Amino acid sequence: MIHARGVSRRYGAHVALHETDFDLRSGELVALVGPNGAGKSTLLSMLAGALEPSTGTVERRVSTGWAPQRSALYSRLTPRENVELFARLARAPIVGVDLPDRPAAELSVGQRQRLNLALAFLGDPRVLLLDEPTAALDDDRRAELWQQVAALCEDGGAVVFATQLQEETERADGVVHLHGGHVE
Amino acid sequence: MRRAALLLRKDLRVLRRSPLLLAVLVSYPLLIALLLALVAGYANAKPRVAFVDDDNLPETVEIGGRTFHVERTIRRVSDDVVLVPLDRDEAERQLRNGKVVAIVRVPAGFVAQLKAMQRSPRLELETTRGLLASRVTQQMQALVYSLNRELQDAFIAANLRYVDLILHGGQGTFLGRRFDVLGLERAESRVSDPEVREFIEVAQLALDQTDDALEATANPIELETVSAAGRTWALSAQVQAHALALVTTFLAAVLAAAALAAERDERVLQRLARGLASLGEVLASKVSLAALVAAVLGLGVAVAFGIAVEIAGVEGGEPWSRVPALVPALLLAGAVAGAFGALVATLAREARSATLVAVLVVLPMIFLGIVPREAAPAAGWVSDALPFAHEVRLFDALLYDLDPWRTALVEGAWLLAIGVALFASARVLMRRLTA
Repeated sequence: MIHARGVSRRYGAHVALHETDFDLRSGELVALVGPNGAGKSTLLSMLAGALEPSTGTVERRVSTGWAPQRSALYSRLTPRENVELFARLARAPIVGVDLPDRPAAELSVGQRQRLNLALAFLGDPRVLLLDEPTAALDDDRRAELWQQVAALCEDGGAVVFATQLQEETERADGVVHLHGGHVE
Repeated sequence: MRRAALLLRKDLRVLRRSPLLLAVLVSYPLLIALLLALVAGYANAKPRVAFVDDDNLPETVEIGGRTFHVERTIRRVSDDVVLVPLDRDEAERQLRNGKVVAIVRVPAGFVAQLKAMQRSPRLELETTRGLLASRVTQQMQALVYSLNRELQDAFIAANLRYVDLILHGGQGTFLGRRFDVLGLERAESRVSDPEVREFIEVAQLALDQTDDALEATANPIELETVSAAGRTWALSAQVQAHALALVTTFLAAVLAAAALAAERDERVLQRLARGLASLGEVLASKVSLAALVAAVLGLGVAVAFGIAVEIAGVEGGEPWSRVPALVPALLLAGAVAGAFGALVATLAREARSATLVAVLVVLPMIFLGIVPREAAPAAGWVSDALPFAHEVRLFDALLYDLDPWRTALVEGAWLLAIGVALFASARVLMRRLTA
């Protein structure tokens, strides 16, 4: 579903991710693990098409949804307005969100993360790329998220997620270890 | 364009929810315009000129039979400068430190020479170097011209009394000597020679014309000043055009810079870059936002000027029929300034820096456009490559030129070319924002 060949990312003299190959197949749930600054977010961003690789190519054969580690949304718009805008831009159906109708800047961290995830699910993508998706979520919301993820994989979709939590890696079919910008 | 329109709608919604920001964006350029007007007013203020009296001028002087009150006369003819009586050393000191911009000195023997009416006495003018020097020299020339006019009247009156004496005879004085004159009238009755009588008649006729001839010789061209015609400086075409250009440029540039930088601050650009909207579409939405808001505010300023003109009953009125033509011009000017602001945003690291840098860059650009070309030609050349000066000329032509279309076309083309260059540069540099 996604094939990356020789992708790397450099910021000036600093190499955030050395040349890496990555393949994601239908039904797979893959965890990216590693310490802070290992290159997990960089790899996810490049797989999502949000960041241009310095070298290499990324081939995406299906629609993808992306939830970055730090929420990427308009803080002066309400959750409903954010969803409406991004849905219209993506020509996707507008879905309801169970969040307070006030500017996103006034939401709690957990509520913002839920909105961040709701934007990733817009248009029912076949592949989800989630960067530490359960951070700041309560137990019920975590369980709900993992149910959605499992349902997508059973349906032939695929999910890649970055995490620092050992118990979350146990859910994955495969684990990719990153350290200092290298896949180990 | 659908996606650019969606982003524009979002930006307008965000702007509507930021009343404080909107108020600052609207009031700040108006405040700058007001301050510039005050500075321009200061430029018209009277310069201080030291007055050094080495001749110990008396209270009154009698010239050509007319008595002049020296102080009153000087005050009357020195409307455009503030004359400060100083001794010579203090005047030199103040000229050196810039407290006065010139010294006008009355040398010893001035009044005596003036009274003698044999040779023109001299006033001495010493000025600083720089832009004010020529202005002060002109004002002092005007002062001397006014003094000469007053003295001329006295001299002409004195000369005419001598002519009257030659015509009609009587007692007169010249250089302190008293004498009796027979006069042509009485001489004619005592002469029997027809040729001499004919000469006297012709001379009488000629001398009768002396009054007008002397006036005409002294003032070959008279300047008649009619006051109270035309409009005040504050409502002039020039001020209107500058105010419109200033408000449009400032608002559009700062707004576009802040809006584009905010997209990056909220990390939304990377989400948009995933095929939701191209960088060109994001840029177009910011330029459109700047153009739209600048056009609305510009129209508001134009209407406010118009209302002031109508209320004040200013001669010439407001060219209301030209206001619709302002709309595309304001949109174009706003878009170009918006592209300029977007370019600034691509160079800055985050929204606050982008806004600050936009303000810091826009202000000198405006000042460059205000500097008269004759005062600093280099400023004019630089200004030609920037939008502000073209905006001023475009608005000025559209509002008040009898046939504005040629100027509008030329300045519009300039703005378009500058806008395209700015937009293209911003588009190239926008890749930095998603890196």
